[in-house]
Amino acid sequence: MTNKFITKQKWFWAWQDEKEEAWLAEMAQQGLHLNTVPFPGSYRFKNGDPADHVYRMDYQSLKTKDKDSYLQLFADAGWEQVGEMGGWMYFRYDAAKGTAPEIFSDRESKIGKYQRVLTYLAILLPLMVVMMPNITGAERYGPIFVILEALTFLVMVLLSFGIIQLFRRINQLKKTG
Amino acid sequence: MANTNIQKYLPLTEATYYILLALVTPKHGYAVMQDAEEISQGTIRLAPGTIYGAFTTLEGNELISMVGKEGRRKIYQITETGIRVLLGQIQRMEIMLQSAAKNFDLWQERTAEEESHD
Repeated sequence: MTNKFITKQKWFWAWQDEKEEAWLAEMAQQGLHLNTVPFPGSYRFKNGDPADHVYRMDYQSLKTKDKDSYLQLFADAGWEQVGEMGGWMYFRYDAAKGTAPEIFSDRESKIGKYQRVLTYLAILLPLMVVMMPNITGAERYGPIFVILEALTFLVMVLLSFGIIQLFRRINQLKKTG
Repeated sequence: MANTNIQKYLPLTEATYYILLALVTPKHGYAVMQDAEEISQGTIRLAPGTIYGAFTTLEGNELISMVGKEGRRKIYQITETGIRVLLGQIQRMEIMLQSAAKNFDLWQERTAEEESHD
């Protein structure tokens, strides 16, 4: 007797969306079908029969009233929403229905997705820079502040790295399509 | 509105062209997907993410506007500015076709000449 649900922990960075999509399809071939994404890096799967499913991720920060029509359009086109985490929308398409389509049909709209992620990270970075002196103010010492300072610095490095990776992804798409 | 400079929207991408053309009559997103595939004789298949992004941009530029709702589906239609942009695009495509016809005629003449020399 197997459990109906299995939760797996795996970490993907914002620029590794294609790797994440491929991993979810791989899980589906083992009979593990994405049910929800309860936390970043945590995936809840439903146990079932192995299947050929295509997973695609979009990044959107939509108001509730706009989200309804957005999800309806994807549903009409055969894409079932299976999860949402921090602006990332997870969609599943049953490849048995025919040729696997894409959620973006041209280069411009595919680039648009990465630009939305980029905008989000590009807003966070200066925010961190502004916050840094407040967190690590000159008069404050002690191990807690050293840790906070190190963490803030780490997040800033990651954000910068993410921004560079996304720029590279966008440039690559502009060149090859 | 009548003086909106349409040149900044031109040339349209193939996707945008067929979306605007489909929205000459009011439609929701999925109907646009189906219609675009049909009127383009299957040469273009629009994906939902592409349609959604295009609708947002086109609505922001006031080339289309929401005219109603059908359940959770928003129904859009082309605006007067949108029509003028579409006509501007069609004019560009006519010039493209005319120039092709002219230069292919020249090419055929030259090929015929070369063959007669052989």
